[in-house]
Amino acid sequence: MRIRLADVTKRYLREGSLRVASDEPPALDHISLDIADGETVSVVGPSGCGKSTLLRLVAGLETADCGTVHYDEHDVADVAPQDRGIGMVFQDYALYPTMKGAGNLKYYFDVHRRTEDEARARAKEIADIMGVGFELLLGQQTTTLSGGEQQRVAIARCIVRDPTLFLMDEPIVNLDAKLRESTRMEMAKLLKRYGITTMFVTHDQQEAVFMGDRIALMRAGRVVQIGTFDELYYSPVNLFVATFFGSRPLAVLPATVADRTVRFGEAAWPLPAVLADRLEPGPVRIGVRPEAWRFAGAESGGGARMAVDRIESVPAERLTLAHGTVSGARVTVVAPAGTAGDVLWLTPDWEAATFFAADGEHALHTPGAPEFF
Amino acid sequence: MTITASRLTKRFGDKAAVDGVDFEVGESEFFVLVGPSGCGKTTTLRMIAGLESIDDGELRMNSVVVNETRPRDRDIAMVFQDYAIFPHLSVHENIAYGLRSRRLASSVIRQRVPDAAATFRIEHLLRRKPRQLSGGERQRVALARALVRDAQAYLYDEPLSNLDAQLRHQAREDILALHQRQRKPTVYVTHDQSEAMSMADRMAVMRSGRIEQVGTPRELYENPVSTFVAYFIGTPSINLFQATLRAEVEDVWLEAPAFSLRLPPSRARALAGHVGGPITAGIRPEDLHPPRQAPFEVGEHNTMTARVDLVEPTTAGSTVYATMPGPAGDLDVAASFGARLPDRFVGQEVPLAVDLEKVHLFDAVTERSVLVDARAA
Repeated sequence: MRIRLADVTKRYLREGSLRVASDEPPALDHISLDIADGETVSVVGPSGCGKSTLLRLVAGLETADCGTVHYDEHDVADVAPQDRGIGMVFQDYALYPTMKGAGNLKYYFDVHRRTEDEARARAKEIADIMGVGFELLLGQQTTTLSGGEQQRVAIARCIVRDPTLFLMDEPIVNLDAKLRESTRMEMAKLLKRYGITTMFVTHDQQEAVFMGDRIALMRAGRVVQIGTFDELYYSPVNLFVATFFGSRPLAVLPATVADRTVRFGEAAWPLPAVLADRLEPGPVRIGVRPEAWRFAGAESGGGARMAVDRIESVPAERLTLAHGTVSGARVTVVAPAGTAGDVLWLTPDWEAATFFAADGEHALHTPGAPEFF
Repeated sequence: MTITASRLTKRFGDKAAVDGVDFEVGESEFFVLVGPSGCGKTTTLRMIAGLESIDDGELRMNSVVVNETRPRDRDIAMVFQDYAIFPHLSVHENIAYGLRSRRLASSVIRQRVPDAAATFRIEHLLRRKPRQLSGGERQRVALARALVRDAQAYLYDEPLSNLDAQLRHQAREDILALHQRQRKPTVYVTHDQSEAMSMADRMAVMRSGRIEQVGTPRELYENPVSTFVAYFIGTPSINLFQATLRAEVEDVWLEAPAFSLRLPPSRARALAGHVGGPITAGIRPEDLHPPRQAPFEVGEHNTMTARVDLVEPTTAGSTVYATMPGPAGDLDVAASFGARLPDRFVGQEVPLAVDLEKVHLFDAVTERSVLVDARAA
């Protein structure tokens, strides 16, 4: 099912007041989204950005002050949540505690007067995908299951109902790191298999990238950017998007462009023609990813001087990282193997650097995705 | 100072939450306890702090047994997951609290508090109350309060769990910078193996109240003693397969329904007693390569084939999730590529080149490594 939101705005009343305070920022601020049939969109952002409100609004648990929500061609403003054919999974499982796992899966079929055989066949099909040991869970009382197990049952319960839209709000945030990894894999497989349109809310960028065909990044009630991982990572619209994505922090260097040259601290670099033509003279901020630096060795004076605080080796990624500062700015760089010493000389890889306005945060130039093949 | 735990045990009812744990934290060492929820890591930390009584075994600081020593007399500073800062006190008073309770002169307090605050970039917040601070700022207040004390040892209980990714990275560097300065024994608890790997001088992987393995991050990654450690360390997790070892003239082959791999002599030598029998093979995702980009020669003896289910883009390339036929249903396999596998390969069979020098082998029954044990013996 295709989901379309057009210009949706939602304000909450301030506690104890009947009037909407006009100075209060809206919880959702002119949001438009178009989610294709079968697509999974991750909604990600810092806490309080409105991502859960957005999900609840699509579910019909909140009403919009203005704007419309369409399921395919139907405006669902007047359709009650239980009639929308959606499946929801929350952070806190919400299983029926009096039933076993199997009962939780079957409940919907009982209520809707479907046959026992249909319920059992569906449950079996899901259990096959959920993998080893899942059928054992179904035989247990849900109160005796661990958090991870309960959430697996909750997700399966949602899928057996054959929802046309799947809404998940931080479903695996309460699980520990390793369990999160295997559970998200199961979820991704189920979604792929059934081709269910899904909105997946999370505060974790990695989870968002893993689950989503596209990712919507929110801040203060607005969708700042929506797109694939490559679009958000290599062509961020602003500094917020650029710093939000990436497992290691982006270095932000306050610099000045003049005479087709960029100056940062003590260092001055001639700009490649493409950039020199594009950037107006004046102050800018340069965003450089940890993997996007070039090295001039520990000795010579080429480039900017980095004072190294700590060298870290990351065996799992066959990487060496150097943490430190360049002219007061905090920098983490992916360094050549065997790097040692207190000083490194660096130059940004201009093909991978992003330029931001010095006075705003919007991007002036983004590198775009590299060619991997 | 050093901290030594011998046969440290804690029981809740008839269940041992910590079950005879041994480790030593050296002078100025950053030691990390890591494991899944419920493994006993926090209980161990709380015993060191004196917040839990010790049921059995000994805890020593330097050579003195401190089992019965009151927490405040152990002179340890601790940082908690939920910060535990006083909501009714200003940032300044929160940081000064430990100093006041130790009756330090106010001239000392006036000097040390701003110093500690400056270290964590909160000197401009000293007059604020905690509720006026963001999560990251609160965490820095907790860190400043720990630092200002100049304690004999530092303990951290999941201090970064409540922070988002950007702040987490920053706070991690702050904690390590503080450690560089203090050079005091530090015990740090986390459930996140990547945090442990990036911070630890040495780390202990815990499982159901026991220590499974202690070592440097690199040792645990390269030579895990059990399938548990192998699986716990590294993201995505190591691929584990049930296989059989078959001898053919000089060579030993690792065989499963989906692949047949010829083990290099370095691996084969350690396997004498296992040939002909079942074995658990562990292959890390980063040791599976697209054949043309493999840093070794590729042939039939080191290739397997899998069908691609999902390609996850990463900053360095992609993680490919695929399946192979197994004895009972499909087996999942993950591969980390240094290149981005285009989406059109989803649903296709692709060859994966295996770095056989890095294959891990475990006893199929005991799940202990047959390689690491052999080396130790």
